Amino acid sequence: MTRVRVTAPHASPRTPVRGGQRPLESREAAQDSEVGQVFVRSLIRSQLRLALVVAGGFLLILAAFPLILVMAPGLDDTRIAGIPFGWLLLGVGIYPVIGLSAWLYVRTAARNEARYRDLAGEQ
Amino acid sequence: MNSERGNTERTGGARMNAGIAITAVAVVSLATAIIGFYGLRISRTTGDFYVASRTVRPWWNASAIGGEYLSAASFLGVAGLILLSGTDALWFPVGYTAGYLMLLLFVAAPLRRSGAYTIPDFTESRLASQTVRRVTSLVVVMVGWLYIVPQLHGAALTIHIATGLPSWVGSVAVVVVVCLTVVAGGMRSITFVQAFQYWLKLTALAVPILFIIFVLAGHGTEPQSPPAVNPTGLAPAGLYQNVSLLVALLFGTLGLPHVLVRFYTNPDGHSARRTTLIVLGLLSVFYLFPTAYGLVARMFAPDLARSGQPDAMVLRLPGQLVGGMPGDLLTALVVAGAFAAFLSTTSGLVVSLAGVISQDVLGGSVRGFRLAAVVSAVVPLGFAFMTGSLALAGSVGLVFAFTASTVCPVLLLGIWWRGLTDAGAIAGMVTGGVLCGGAMIVGALPASGPTPAWLAQPAAWSVPAAFAVMVIVSRATQHRIPGTMPRIMTRLHTPERPLATER
Repeated sequence: MTRVRVTAPHASPRTPVRGGQRPLESREAAQDSEVGQVFVRSLIRSQLRLALVVAGGFLLILAAFPLILVMAPGLDDTRIAGIPFGWLLLGVGIYPVIGLSAWLYVRTAARNEARYRDLAGEQ
Repeated sequence: MNSERGNTERTGGARMNAGIAITAVAVVSLATAIIGFYGLRISRTTGDFYVASRTVRPWWNASAIGGEYLSAASFLGVAGLILLSGTDALWFPVGYTAGYLMLLLFVAAPLRRSGAYTIPDFTESRLASQTVRRVTSLVVVMVGWLYIVPQLHGAALTIHIATGLPSWVGSVAVVVVVCLTVVAGGMRSITFVQAFQYWLKLTALAVPILFIIFVLAGHGTEPQSPPAVNPTGLAPAGLYQNVSLLVALLFGTLGLPHVLVRFYTNPDGHSARRTTLIVLGLLSVFYLFPTAYGLVARMFAPDLARSGQPDAMVLRLPGQLVGGMPGDLLTALVVAGAFAAFLSTTSGLVVSLAGVISQDVLGGSVRGFRLAAVVSAVVPLGFAFMTGSLALAGSVGLVFAFTASTVCPVLLLGIWWRGLTDAGAIAGMVTGGVLCGGAMIVGALPASGPTPAWLAQPAAWSVPAAFAVMVIVSRATQHRIPGTMPRIMTRLHTPERPLATER
């Protein structure tokens, strides 16, 4: 299926572009309509909400790690293979949490974009 | 300064085999130069020079980002700080890595989609203002220079300890190799160089520490001191310091110029995210090793903390705990990795600074880029000669605080908030820069007592202040929101191929 985009000519002659900037392309112009902007706004909102939720969740876990050590003082002295538990928690245990947050985000962000594509494509 | 270092060195550590160490440095420099010259043949246009034509594969690109990001602070400084202050210092590697998570969440894909080469390009097109561009360029160049200085300090320290040569040889060697590589090959070859250097750095940290652990376990060596005890009797950090440090590291990463420029080498926004995901994995693996060095040194060689140069711990540990010929070889490997760290971070910064300077001052030609590259590398060399070296991880932490107070707010608000105006952006960047820069200057002045925590770690108040000023001034100047804003927002956030089928 081919889609024909109808766009208005640019109102004013463009000033020469500097550096690596491209002129605004038809991709953006196609979303100039009111409906298009509604879709774009809703995409931005959902991506921002997703980013804030993942960041907030990660920061909560990050704050919880030292709290665990404060709450259970005996835990810090526990050793696993000669390494104190506190060191394992902060020096090793946080990285899988970071990786998991990142993976969840990338997956969901791509899904948000796929939903946007469907909506914008039907328009 | 140099004679002072010489004295602590003689009293502090075991003698190292200078010949092997010099060979190691020469091999790394030569390998860097060869890969750089090889790249010369495939980079011909200005586009190649700036962003490697956006054709670099995700794994190469991720390795290159990792290679560029892991600086002297990560390679030497983190382990040294962990040796000094134990679990308090673990927030450094955690913050460096989590900063990348924030970059992924808030910046990676939109910035790639903006289609700009540099941060000033981005702010100019988003806010339609030449003045914003100039202010951003100024801030970016300051950040870059501030960041190169600790790399050169690290090189000076490493060369002096490993070979006994005067400290300045190390700084000059780094600047010369970086200038040659960047001038010769631009970003395409830099990408290969950086990718190679990530794996070199990882090997150079991992092999010696694993060897040391096997030797210690094999001999059944008893620890000299428990890991919870600070070898120099340093007081534990307060809650404010840890929180402020985390704010700096989490929000500073997403404004670093050399990190951002890397995202333009991805073909589209989605691949920029995938690349960042791989980078997070690479960083997580890497930071296990400085942590291991710190822990082993606390338990088995706490006297290294008392030499007055904790940053040199990684270089001295193999000689102290293994010794003999194996110790010399392991030390040479660590020295090679450390040099890779100085070279890769410095060249990444020089490339991004040269991009900014040549476009703003010299008109964006390849010749201008080369000239700008030399300027970007030589100026911080002067700074490095004039200043004494602080703890590497600490001085890099301050650069992150400065970035978080200036570049970070304009990027975050520019990407996510429609109401940002040029006046707001300038007011916010100036506020953050003055507050954080002022705290850094006051903190560096010779004072009677120890620097209070709120001055030593300014991020917790300077970052919110910059954000607040940016928002308030933008609100007051709403009429200045540029007419191009809706289209720019669409470009930043919508996928490149609106009709592409889902994978």
